[in-house]
Amino acid sequence: MKVLVAVKRVVDYNVKVRVKADGSDVDVANVKMSMNPFDEIAVEEAVRLKEAGKATEIVVVSMGVKQCEETLRTALAMGADRAILVETDTELQPLAVAKLLKAVADKEQPQLLIVGKQAIDDDANQTGQMAAALLGWAQGTFASKVDVAAETVDVTREIDGGLETVKLRLPAVVTADLRLNEPRFIKLPNIMAAKKKPLEKTSPADLGVDVTPRLKTLKVAEPAKRSAGIKVANAAELVAKLKNDAKVL
Amino acid sequence: MLTSPQLSALQAIIPAERIHCDADSLDRYGQDWTRYTRPQAAAVVFPLSIEEVQAVVRWANAQGVAIVPSGGRTGLSGGAVAAQGEVVLSFERMNRIDQFDPLARTVRCQAGVVTAALQAFAQEQGLLYPVDFASSGSSQIGGNIATNAGGIRVVRYGMTRDWIAGLTVVTGSGELLQCNLGLNKNNSGYDFRHLFIGSEGTLGLVVEATVRLCDPAPPSAVLLLAVPQLPDIMAVFHAFRSRLTLQAFEFFSDQALTHVLAARQAQPPLAERQPFYVLLECELPPSADDAPVLQAFEHCLEQGWVVDGVLAQSQQQARALWRLREGISAAITPRTPYKNDIAVVISRLPDFVSWLQALLARDYPDFEVLWYGHIGDGNLHINVLKPESWELEEFRHACEAVNKQVFALVAEFAGSMSAEHGVGLLKRDYLGVTRSAADIALMRGVKAVFDPNNIMNPGKLLRRAG
Repeated sequence: MKVLVAVKRVVDYNVKVRVKADGSDVDVANVKMSMNPFDEIAVEEAVRLKEAGKATEIVVVSMGVKQCEETLRTALAMGADRAILVETDTELQPLAVAKLLKAVADKEQPQLLIVGKQAIDDDANQTGQMAAALLGWAQGTFASKVDVAAETVDVTREIDGGLETVKLRLPAVVTADLRLNEPRFIKLPNIMAAKKKPLEKTSPADLGVDVTPRLKTLKVAEPAKRSAGIKVANAAELVAKLKNDAKVL
Repeated sequence: MLTSPQLSALQAIIPAERIHCDADSLDRYGQDWTRYTRPQAAAVVFPLSIEEVQAVVRWANAQGVAIVPSGGRTGLSGGAVAAQGEVVLSFERMNRIDQFDPLARTVRCQAGVVTAALQAFAQEQGLLYPVDFASSGSSQIGGNIATNAGGIRVVRYGMTRDWIAGLTVVTGSGELLQCNLGLNKNNSGYDFRHLFIGSEGTLGLVVEATVRLCDPAPPSAVLLLAVPQLPDIMAVFHAFRSRLTLQAFEFFSDQALTHVLAARQAQPPLAERQPFYVLLECELPPSADDAPVLQAFEHCLEQGWVVDGVLAQSQQQARALWRLREGISAAITPRTPYKNDIAVVISRLPDFVSWLQALLARDYPDFEVLWYGHIGDGNLHINVLKPESWELEEFRHACEAVNKQVFALVAEFAGSMSAEHGVGLLKRDYLGVTRSAADIALMRGVKAVFDPNNIMNPGKLLRRAG
């Protein structure tokens, strides 16, 4: 079984981003970039499927600027077999990514497409779902457990207040949630070996996909600053404050 | 116990609500992270100003009461222990940060500023206070200065000493001194600042410090390497340092890792365990290209010094790797470890370590000995764990017997019996391992100049005369 995994290059989870002075976007100059954590979980799951003898080949794909190559090398070091970079400087929105994913999937014919449930930069949570719709495949979103059989895959989904297990016919799209697995540390010898693994470059034009943005960002603003706490003298004052100022009682 | 005239005289300078004599406070403020001495403080005072500190010192001189200066009490040598009826002077309430000078890149801190608060302040200014250690959330800048604290970035940024531009101190006789005035260049005679740094509260009290800040650290890579032979670690150090700027170079043994993994219920970072691990952090070139990191690793691999390794891919993974090293101390605390903190010149470290390993294996095969430390600075923390069935006293005596031999070896290699933890109470009787009789006699002379009535932390660092 061939598995296709999509990975996105995003600002590192631990970086505190700043909004640009003109409010047009966040400032990502000179900040640490890493693989989207949910995509890392997706790659890890694919590698575990291969280690368990269920997957035969793992292809990772990323879309965006040239530096996405580093993200793909990371996925290769984790255990993916080969990589595809759809290179473009155009800002990619979820629908464009989903269309590109469909084009790559049409070419590669995987049985399973695993993506992170969302990217931590735009938090759109759309790409996996839209790719499934465009491909006409079944989808198992917010997966916390993936069990692959010959013709089907059981996906345990994290839903409000519990878990839901669905059986999907292959090929299918799975989006990875936080509890699916814990990604491994990458061994240095594997990083060296990953530099020699095949990385193919293509472009939206080569794939015949128009990626022109259809959404316009109007404004980016920082969350409101929390104001400092106050001390109250007694319970009566506390109740009064909660009632009149905080209006929570 | 203070007599009632002593107490009323004290209450005349410090309001009663800032003098604590309850059993809970005396116990809490009477000790540091060492647990070998039973605290016996007479009182704890919380001054708010330099004037109050001076008044307490004058009171102590007049009444013949000893003072133990107290910061975050995270010390590991008993320097902040009050076990002889001393008055503990806590700087907890003197924690103001002010007078940030962006041009000189200095900031003034009162002694009670917590290290992490200073680090956060520097970060807000787009700068860095680079001295860092596992206890930075509790330790205070005054205590850092009094012990010349080191930590995990010494290999890159040096010790606390290197970051102090000026000090305000109250001497043991109650005089107020301004040492070095925050200057970069100041060749105007004896620099008392450096006498007070590392003096462990035996000369006086550090009340304020002007601290230097620097540029934030560039992007870095965090690696964990598996090393079969301890002496090879220095070859690994050389291989990486000759290609990259090291931010930290730490090591720990597989046994130490086992304790951390058990305490944190975590999985080992490398499935195949090796006897030793190096945790290193190095600065990356502006392009963030990791090629030199891989070159250094490849070289170590070819030489057989290293057999495997991982490279953190995100800050989250970097922190997870760091927790393996920083979590050791907390993980083994339940086993009341006997801590050693020794250092030799790094070029002599491989030989020293081979001898030490042989010595411990030959004479103390039954002890569980954990090795870790800031090996890039030649600094080893050797921790002996108390077997569950042993009594604390019995264990301590056995460790002191081991110590004699370890310190004989340290002396032979011209090393330090206390690299960064200070001398305090625990290491006092071993001071002669590193300092000559002439040194110690001069130290006593210096103490008598600044603290003529011997009220400042008596019995710490130097044994009481007579």
